Amino acid sequence: MKKKKPLSLALSAVMSLTLLLSACSGGNGTGTTSNGSGDTGSNANGSTQKDDSPAQITVMLPLNTAETPTDTIKNELEKLTNTKLTYQFFPADTYEEKLNTAFATGSLPQATYLKNATTFLLMREAIKEGQFWEIGPYLSEFPNLSKLKPEVLDNTKVEGKLYSLYLGRPLARQGIIYRKDWADKLNIAPPETTEELFAMAKAFTEQDPDGNGQNDTTGIADRNELVFGAFKTVSSWFGTPNNWGEKDGKLLPEFMFPEYIDTMNFFKSLRDNGYMNQDFAATSKTDAVNLFTSGKAGIYIGGSMPDITTLDKDLIKNVPTAVLDAHSMVKSPDGNIHQWMIAGYNNLVLFPKTAVKDEAELKKILGFFDKMMTPEVANLMFWGIEGTHYTVVDGKAKPSEDKELTEREVKGYKDSVIGEAETNGMYESLNELPGRIHAEELIKENEKYGVKDPTAALDSATYALKGVELQQTITDATYKFIYGQIDQAGFEKEIEKWKKQGGEQMIEEFNASYKK
Amino acid sequence: MEETVISRQVTKTQPAWRKRFWRNKLLYLMIVPGIIYFLIFKYIPMFGLVISFQDYKPFKGILGSEWVGFKHFERLFTEPDFWNILSNTLLLFGMNLLFYFPIPIILALMLNEVRITFFKRFFQTLVYLPHFMSWVIIVSISYVMLTMDGGIVNELLVQLGFSKINFLLSPEWFRPTYIIQVIWREAGWGTIIYLAAIAAVDPQLYEAARMDGAGRLRQVWHITLPAIRSVIIVLLILKIGDVLELGFEHVYLLLNSMNRDVAEIIDTYVYTAGLRQMQFSYSAAVGFFKSLVGLVLVMLANHLSKKMGEEGIY
Repeated sequence: MKKKKPLSLALSAVMSLTLLLSACSGGNGTGTTSNGSGDTGSNANGSTQKDDSPAQITVMLPLNTAETPTDTIKNELEKLTNTKLTYQFFPADTYEEKLNTAFATGSLPQATYLKNATTFLLMREAIKEGQFWEIGPYLSEFPNLSKLKPEVLDNTKVEGKLYSLYLGRPLARQGIIYRKDWADKLNIAPPETTEELFAMAKAFTEQDPDGNGQNDTTGIADRNELVFGAFKTVSSWFGTPNNWGEKDGKLLPEFMFPEYIDTMNFFKSLRDNGYMNQDFAATSKTDAVNLFTSGKAGIYIGGSMPDITTLDKDLIKNVPTAVLDAHSMVKSPDGNIHQWMIAGYNNLVLFPKTAVKDEAELKKILGFFDKMMTPEVANLMFWGIEGTHYTVVDGKAKPSEDKELTEREVKGYKDSVIGEAETNGMYESLNELPGRIHAEELIKENEKYGVKDPTAALDSATYALKGVELQQTITDATYKFIYGQIDQAGFEKEIEKWKKQGGEQMIEEFNASYKK
Repeated sequence: MEETVISRQVTKTQPAWRKRFWRNKLLYLMIVPGIIYFLIFKYIPMFGLVISFQDYKPFKGILGSEWVGFKHFERLFTEPDFWNILSNTLLLFGMNLLFYFPIPIILALMLNEVRITFFKRFFQTLVYLPHFMSWVIIVSISYVMLTMDGGIVNELLVQLGFSKINFLLSPEWFRPTYIIQVIWREAGWGTIIYLAAIAAVDPQLYEAARMDGAGRLRQVWHITLPAIRSVIIVLLILKIGDVLELGFEHVYLLLNSMNRDVAEIIDTYVYTAGLRQMQFSYSAAVGFFKSLVGLVLVMLANHLSKKMGEEGIY
């Protein structure tokens, strides 16, 4: 054993910590922690206390910046909400490990943020085991928390009960971002059907849209991601259901629908003809974005249209004359528009029973989150301090030029704001780039045609156990099909394999849960 | 730990080893930190292996989780991809041994023959620098060179009238890519120990050989190689001990949907199947199995080397 991999090291660390500290997980409340948070909301402020003493709250959340934010925002926040806050930031890259370790040692703080929807799936079991407070019954006592969208809350319920508050995200942000200057030059209108999208990629490849006389452009720049790359977005335009769909009254996974095969054929012929980057299955997001911002590719389908702002900024450095636009209204062969819709949240916050001792303490913490959903507090956490980090123009927030300052002081807190602008009343962002303004309009428009994932709030034990692994089988098969390594019969064979390894059970479990 | 020594002087008051121990107490004190390190970081975590026989739940802890016997091992051995993953791992390891292992030796011998000290130093530094680059950087450089979307290698192939080769996304190119990257990064670093061993060879042996009319190659064959033979054997055994340590990060970065059939190894499987889905018990069981394979191979290699009349590592 000379070299140790970080992975096994982490695992053994978890193991040894568990061993040493399993005594603490008995909920003895002393909060002996491994991460140096001594304060887990001591029992001193019990239920008999009046509400005028500041509530002590510890919060753990993922950090998407290089450094922990300064206390500027926190100090303001404590004043506004009458609390004493301890924020524990951990790098987003290793957040799941941190979460597991803290969980194993019983040292989760009172308000524990997860990392994303996937982490939530993994936590469901622990939630069912009664490790976290159910908060559903208390929501009505809090005027602002009551505003949270019921349809999104439903997506985060476990066995019909609510345990979490959500961080909102628009339901359908996906579409294409394309070179409007190229399209204008070649007289191509925004694609209204999937065929027109194909024709656009073809023209961008073959008709020398950059006018340099060389054959050096491609249509679509895609990356090694089926869901957040181009595939899933285009599959919804073909009319493929969102993850699961109903067929003869039974739920089936998307890849058992003919539209999924159509989507695969669409990408296969795009790639075979050279209308997209050949190596997309091994291309990272950075490389795909570079392909687009270097002016070599004309269409970027990366999942989220607001990316147009950053793409535009990088592209005009290389091609000053470039103009970008967003587009998402692409009809399916059946003549209707379908848009893939996410569950409406991108992260959740949970309240562990090991840290929150009783109802009174829980209500104090919920009270803090209730205040977070007032415009004043939400703006402070999302945008920062007015005049320093942003200014208000036409009732919208305009971030200051000093992006680094905002990144350093605000970003950490920005990623923890509950709800969305509609529910917490914070300022919308002021957009000046025409393409971005168009993108925001399309996002609102998309919702009208949104297709839900029917399994969002359903349970399947097999899915929790092997979901990721099984999905890998299908993902691999999809790429192999697009690259011509297997044909449709081969794809069907992979589906059989999926069924045998637990897919069959998954279908049954989801359907049983669906019928309830 | 302590060496029991057969004592020649029979003393009635205290055994000889104790005397020797006491005389060298400072030397023994020096190994205490090492022992403590191994206890804390290698031996105590081993108790964590018990979770591979449980349905481990983090919030219940090791003491509270349910015992399930060999359930996770059964799942591993009945996994349809299991034999594929194991054979991928062993194949990749075999190639590592065959193609990578001799290279540092050859390189060390070549460097040793360079007579001008400045050049020797210069080349040595040049070949071991890549060791300090992370796999992420190396794989990214390879991507830029090998991609079909404007990679230098493929552009060159087209210029020369060949057709493009899909290096990144074809099962047959995965292993060569992997091995070449390993050689490029590690070969220079691997020469350090050999060069040290070569430096310890008595120069008189070379003089004697020259007197007998041995040329450069003869000297290498009859003197240098036998001199570093035992070092090679020890390193080989240690390498075999790492049979399944192929570098998770490296393989994971090269892994994609198109080459998974040949590139999925035990480490990457543990990551996708276990840790990403919080299945600690299953991951621990897979890791446990891996360690056992490594242990068996080391004992085998050690046994063989003893048979060959070499030292071995224990």
